[in-house]
Amino acid sequence: MKATRILSKAAAALVLMGSMLAQRPPRDPSQSPAALPRLKSGTPQTYPPEQIQAGAQRFAAQCGFCHGRDATGGESGPDLTRSELVARDVRGDQIGPLLRAGRPDAGMPSFSLPESDLNSIVAFVHNQMDRFATLAGGRRTVEPPDLATGNAADGQAYFNGPGGCSGCHSPTGDLSGIASRYKGLALLQRMLYPSGRPALSAPKAVFTLESGQTVAAPLVAQDEFSVTVLDPLGARQTYQRSAVKVKIEDPMSAHFTQLGRYTDGDMHNVFAYLDTLK
Amino acid sequence: MNRICLGIAVSAAWIAAASAQSADANKLLNPPADAWLTYHGAYNGQRHSALRQIAPENIERLEKVWTFQTGQNAPIKASPILMDGVLYITTPDNLWAIDARTGKQRWHYQHPMNNAFHIGHRGAAVYKDTVYLTTPDCHLIAFHAKSGKIKWNVVIADSNKGYWSTNAPLVVKNHVLVGVSGDFDNVPGQLKSIDADTGKTQWIFYSTPPGGGPESESGGATGGQMWTTGTYDPELNLVFVGTGNPTPVLNGSVRLGDNRWTCSIVALNPDTGKLVWGFQVSPHDTHDWDANEVPVLADAEFGGRPRKLLMQASRNGYFFVLDRTVGKNLLTAPFAAVNWTKGIDSSGRPIPDPAKEPAKDGVLVAPNEAGATNFRPPSFDPKTGLFIVSAQDGYGIYFFKAEHGGYGWAGADYNVAGKSFLRAIDYRTGRIAWEHGIGDGAGTAGVLTTDSGLTISGDNRTSVLALRTSDGATLWHADVGRVQNAPVTYALDGKQYLIVAGGSSLHAFALPDSKHGVD
Repeated sequence: MKATRILSKAAAALVLMGSMLAQRPPRDPSQSPAALPRLKSGTPQTYPPEQIQAGAQRFAAQCGFCHGRDATGGESGPDLTRSELVARDVRGDQIGPLLRAGRPDAGMPSFSLPESDLNSIVAFVHNQMDRFATLAGGRRTVEPPDLATGNAADGQAYFNGPGGCSGCHSPTGDLSGIASRYKGLALLQRMLYPSGRPALSAPKAVFTLESGQTVAAPLVAQDEFSVTVLDPLGARQTYQRSAVKVKIEDPMSAHFTQLGRYTDGDMHNVFAYLDTLK
Repeated sequence: MNRICLGIAVSAAWIAAASAQSADANKLLNPPADAWLTYHGAYNGQRHSALRQIAPENIERLEKVWTFQTGQNAPIKASPILMDGVLYITTPDNLWAIDARTGKQRWHYQHPMNNAFHIGHRGAAVYKDTVYLTTPDCHLIAFHAKSGKIKWNVVIADSNKGYWSTNAPLVVKNHVLVGVSGDFDNVPGQLKSIDADTGKTQWIFYSTPPGGGPESESGGATGGQMWTTGTYDPELNLVFVGTGNPTPVLNGSVRLGDNRWTCSIVALNPDTGKLVWGFQVSPHDTHDWDANEVPVLADAEFGGRPRKLLMQASRNGYFFVLDRTVGKNLLTAPFAAVNWTKGIDSSGRPIPDPAKEPAKDGVLVAPNEAGATNFRPPSFDPKTGLFIVSAQDGYGIYFFKAEHGGYGWAGADYNVAGKSFLRAIDYRTGRIAWEHGIGDGAGTAGVLTTDSGLTISGDNRTSVLALRTSDGATLWHADVGRVQNAPVTYALDGKQYLIVAGGSSLHAFALPDSKHGVD
């Protein structure tokens, strides 16, 4: 009885969702900071040397392992001296909320730091960004010319042939102008596995109702027990797998399989080909 | 009512039988059921419990008994210790003593603010009536277990040189073995033996020069830190420890050769710190694949005869079986996606493919930096012969150019994508008997197995999972927050508890009172 009730409730919600499902506006693709010219803090900000010094110490303890003690990238976190968010930040108005909330999906924990620690970390990061902006050459960075070793014609042949890329993608369709939107490392990362950044085709959960009708919705999260999707109003809805019939369609799975197939030569060639699609 | 009375009677009998009065050397060798005295629960590192009360048939009825919240943001990445009915759990700079029956705090130590890395902490250690804690700024502090009063506090390494510590010490006889980390500076790998009573240094083992073997063996590499907890065989009187990656990390051109003893399993005499044998699982590593994963010990049949085995599922994607008396390799087999080798050499070591060293235009490498597994502990189930590990099929891109230099990280790398599984490896063949998907990215939960046939671990979201050890089928789960080390189990007053850390909380589960009985 209980299971049936849950099932019918879920089905009703899904029918509603199916009828309301509308095109979600595409998000603006953002460029990777690593592909951009060196950034400076957008709003010039000066901090007292003792605050920067204190920030260097707090940053090292709390952030240094992932982002590097000098904030130019560490074991898993990005180079903050090339971060657009840092460049936009004015005295912690962007960095503060980010630190308090974390980025759980990207593996960044939240921090509950005293205000003085937070302010000193902000001071240090801005100081590092402006320092590195004036230095020539990169440190642990990858510049677009570093990646220019492939052969575009071979890449095109692989794209249309053994790579199987043309099964889903087209140089005049979804990939038109891709090299103008993404450059260097950002383009390479997007080519290899586009998720985690604005994904052009996010995974879908496809529900089959008792009537046989199917309803698809963008997938937010899943595990072996439940599936969370966005309804047409943008709200998260979670369904227990035991209460619904659902299949996940993940276009990224082809990209994952491809990671096991690329030679480094293939990878550089396809990159060279995509880099021509300006 | 009757059942409750019976429960009380059984409890009284149990208390009388148990004599968990602190953890002397004999207790550490033969841990009782009402304790979890070492990081792995036992010196062999199997993380396997003989308890059978919680079983596949009844685990659906498991209930939460208490929850302890640290009240801090830092997640618990430690494995708890239980001694005399008190649990000890840690985060960087913090140690809590918690009543194991109620989840109420007994005492809490907070270390002064310091500037060393605060990335995680693996747990405390106990010996006699003392609790030991390492701190990010490389102190080892000894506490009176009952009161939390500090007995002594010593410095084990210079954190200003780039060392920090996350280490759960291993206590062997009166030696407290403590390791440190240090990937961002070219510093030698060191494991220190500290006198359990006085805090005095007994010996230091260096895995790399200066201090370690000759420069000709390391090829100029530093690193090889021993930041995880080793295992111990009292019959051989050998401690087994995994060593970390070489430094500089991604630039192999300034440290040619195998770079001994980085990315290795080393066997040490705990009384002298002398190296008895070493086996290198990743010669000339250029991908940050520490070999710090647990060297699990088992006395089991291999190749038709009983042997003293050592098993490691290593971060580089290969599962190794060695004869631990001499360090001879018996089996090397991949347990996750790998593309970095040109084969296996005659001594069982993977042969690194130079074409997969980090390059200016990038190379696509499996595993990625997070590794095919990592510090999260595996478990060995002696009944089925299954070695169960949280594995990742992961891909990353690795870069190095001359401008990246030869100090510290010396390169750049980016994880591309990964999928995680609990994989059960047949230790005799290296074959995967079953796998159980736990989500995208790298896993964080370790594994516990029990004699009743349960495998307890966590997925990549917020669930603790109980699987059937024989086939990996899900039997039970609970939402506890992200699990970032391995669960532990013990029996108190005749009741088996399952302790799981999720997020920054510690949860105790047990069967309802009316259902439990003692085997």
